[in-house]
Amino acid sequence: MQTAPMHSVGTSLNACIKCNICTSYCPVSEVTDSFPGPKYAAPQSERFRDFGHPHYEDAYGPISRPLAVGQMPDASVDYCSGCRVCNEVCPTGVRIAEINARARARIVAAHGLSLRNRLLGRNELLGRVGSIAPAIANFILHNPVSRKLAAALFGVAEKAPLPRWHHETLNRWLARTRAQRLRSERKVVYFHGCATQYYEPYVGMAAILVLEHLGYEVVVPPQNCCGLPMLSNGEFGAAEDHHRRNVDRLAEYVDAGYPVIGTSTSCTLTLKEEAPELLDLERDPGTRALKLATWDIFEWLRERLDQGQLPSDLRPVNQTDQPFILPYHAPCQLRAHRIGKPALDLLAQIPGLDLRESHARCCGIAGTYGYKTEKYQIAMDVGAELFDYVAAQADESDLSSNGSVSLTACDSETCRWQLEHGTGLPSRHPIELLAAAYGLYDLQARRPAAGN
Amino acid sequence: MLDLLVIGAGLTGLFAAYTAARAGLRVRVIAHGAGATHWHAGTIDLLGYVQNGEEAVANWAQALPELPPAHPYRLLGVETIATALGEFQRLTAAAGLPYERLDPDKDILASSASEKRTSQKEGPGQQVDQVKLGRNGQLISPVGAARPVYLAPTAQQAGTLHDDRPVAIAGLAGMPDFYPELIAENLQKQGRPARSASLPLRQLTDRRDHSPLQLARLLDQPAAQAQFAEMVVDVTAAGERVGLPAVLGLNAHLRFLTKLHEAIASRDPRTSQPDGGREARLAVFEIPTLPPSVPGLRLDAALRTQLQRLGVRVEIGMEVCAFHASGGRIHWVETETGSRPLRHTARNYLLATGGILGGGIWADRRGRVKETVFDLPLTAPQTRSQWLRPLFLDRRGHPIFQGGVPVDNFLRPLDQAGAPVYDNLWAAGAILAHTDPIRERSREGIAITTGYAAANAVASGQ
Repeated sequence: MQTAPMHSVGTSLNACIKCNICTSYCPVSEVTDSFPGPKYAAPQSERFRDFGHPHYEDAYGPISRPLAVGQMPDASVDYCSGCRVCNEVCPTGVRIAEINARARARIVAAHGLSLRNRLLGRNELLGRVGSIAPAIANFILHNPVSRKLAAALFGVAEKAPLPRWHHETLNRWLARTRAQRLRSERKVVYFHGCATQYYEPYVGMAAILVLEHLGYEVVVPPQNCCGLPMLSNGEFGAAEDHHRRNVDRLAEYVDAGYPVIGTSTSCTLTLKEEAPELLDLERDPGTRALKLATWDIFEWLRERLDQGQLPSDLRPVNQTDQPFILPYHAPCQLRAHRIGKPALDLLAQIPGLDLRESHARCCGIAGTYGYKTEKYQIAMDVGAELFDYVAAQADESDLSSNGSVSLTACDSETCRWQLEHGTGLPSRHPIELLAAAYGLYDLQARRPAAGN
Repeated sequence: MLDLLVIGAGLTGLFAAYTAARAGLRVRVIAHGAGATHWHAGTIDLLGYVQNGEEAVANWAQALPELPPAHPYRLLGVETIATALGEFQRLTAAAGLPYERLDPDKDILASSASEKRTSQKEGPGQQVDQVKLGRNGQLISPVGAARPVYLAPTAQQAGTLHDDRPVAIAGLAGMPDFYPELIAENLQKQGRPARSASLPLRQLTDRRDHSPLQLARLLDQPAAQAQFAEMVVDVTAAGERVGLPAVLGLNAHLRFLTKLHEAIASRDPRTSQPDGGREARLAVFEIPTLPPSVPGLRLDAALRTQLQRLGVRVEIGMEVCAFHASGGRIHWVETETGSRPLRHTARNYLLATGGILGGGIWADRRGRVKETVFDLPLTAPQTRSQWLRPLFLDRRGHPIFQGGVPVDNFLRPLDQAGAPVYDNLWAAGAILAHTDPIRERSREGIAITTGYAAANAVASGQ
């Protein structure tokens, strides 16, 4: 389309018509004065930041040149949570969130990175270290004294919903169940992401069981962090190292034509778009091939559904006669894929499921944002819209005595943790519901059903 | 399969989707971004000016013959226009955001909306009373000029110029882009009793930079409402009505409006008389602001709520990048994603992507003008020197703004030979040719009536 040439991050600001729609929707500037809003922070400020160098490029790469004092991005840009709601509603295609991410990277390049933000960007390392002895790691991380210490020393919010290490990583489960795994001519690659590997391997198990149920062999090659936490914290150099390593590690499968399927919407978004775009790697052939091979799992399953390839042996998830009310929130990271809400189409196939679609903009957590002491309350205030929505579904069900809400569903892990934190209800990945409806998965215990 | 895919989520697209869904069609809306409703003044302007006309149009129904023969209103006719507006009033009333006519003689005429609806059902034999039906009202514009409007939300009703009560325009000190002195001065020049006043915004918030939306959210809070009401009462003299920037809350502004009215009325001996009788007229009204427009946001929210109730999904962030057609029919459109294009298949397609501002028409610096989704033929001049007339305020308007997609009576886009380009494609709203919505002050009227007519044309073909 005609606006396409504008899509590169640096020049897209020229498409801004100052209509303020982004300001109307920004969930962060609504609850705090620390962030002036997308229009002011991105296209308007950007024009003055690096006059004469619209692409931030020099001989050393995209963001390395020191800026003159007056051109340093205002520190308020750090309060952009990167939820990308602004991009979603912008009628002219300005890459607002990406302009902010690059501005943040410039600040980091000039002033360095706090230890806290460096740590939050290393969830893969944290995951790996903790999973050596998960019980001890959970004790150390989750006791009140260490949460107080972490808040005081590093600025990690005391109440923010940190995950727990699982007793068995996904890789160990795969090794243990190797004999049971399906072998087939039809193969897909599963990109698990760090959270599934170390904290929620059962989400990966559910995904693998569903993919096998469709007759696909699931290949899980060695892979590393997609680099998003580093991109969010302005650490572009490290993010690029991580991204390039993934491109190399997945190349043989991508070249062989296997789809790369992920359950973590933020990891898949990074492979598809964030890393290529922010790091100026769109012309790198390996990056481009991986971008085109990557799928959100429900995006891929929707294709199967549309082509009549989805097994129809779906059963009600609950045993009682009461309809199962399920508030579903499509996270911002998924909406940024611009693929609609494919989980809604799939979950609608499950009999007896009363699916309620949330129209809340954001849960607030935005990756590592809500874990920072100075941003925790902002994240909770942003999430209130979603928490209230979930509560309203429960109220409604009480009135008509249809049963109560016992679960919520959301595709992104940190958003699920925030949802649980904000609503007090457990939250599941929609693939867990689908796996349960196929009888492959125990939704309550979060493990494969007996015999799988 | 979907019966109808609507492309565009402005007033046109959302109202068309509503109309089609109520007719029983399976509908979905996709759009590149949120719609231009966010820029609207929140009123329904039907027809304010005709080409070469000096004066504002007093009665749109009687002014239709002065429009060019291919103008969308001429294609639809008075009855369809009136029915569409009745349906719009029904929608907004159900959403708790009632829109009423700004008729100077509203008290004399019986309840206009219901009368209009019933008169439409009587069939062509029954003549619509065009004198009664078509009367425009006039509201105070943000610069104090007279603005021809047909339907207005409750919050703007008391801003009518057909009201002899003196006006106090109260601004918020420190709020940019709202100038009470300018408005009052212009009203005085027109011989109307008006004065300006200023409310101390600093008493409500420490924030220095205020958008109308931030102020509206602030005024959703009960504590701020109470304080604000006191401030308004303080600057109001007996018998006056108060014009305020349109920031009186987002979520429950009607309740706040009533509270403000009661606070003013209780101080005013004339209106507080028990049978002061017909002083049902509000003592407060809103004047639209620059974007983000709070009245526009309220209207967008009302439309979205009604669509949710009908189970219509509205998917934003989807830009059409390709389509496939053969045998005179469109088979699918594809939207751009983070990776591969996403395909959307439907029996029918409705193009409601807007004009140049909305993104439905793209004009480049070399003078080429293109319809952005299906590359449809346009009536716009393809030479840059012919886009504009030499005088900015030329009464005939500018050719580039009158250019658009030519359509038949069923709102199907036409090719150069005058035949429908595709059998299953319709177009509505600001993208249409032979209308100049901003100049005509017909923006919302074109959106509602053509969206309604196109949706009905689709539904009747099903």
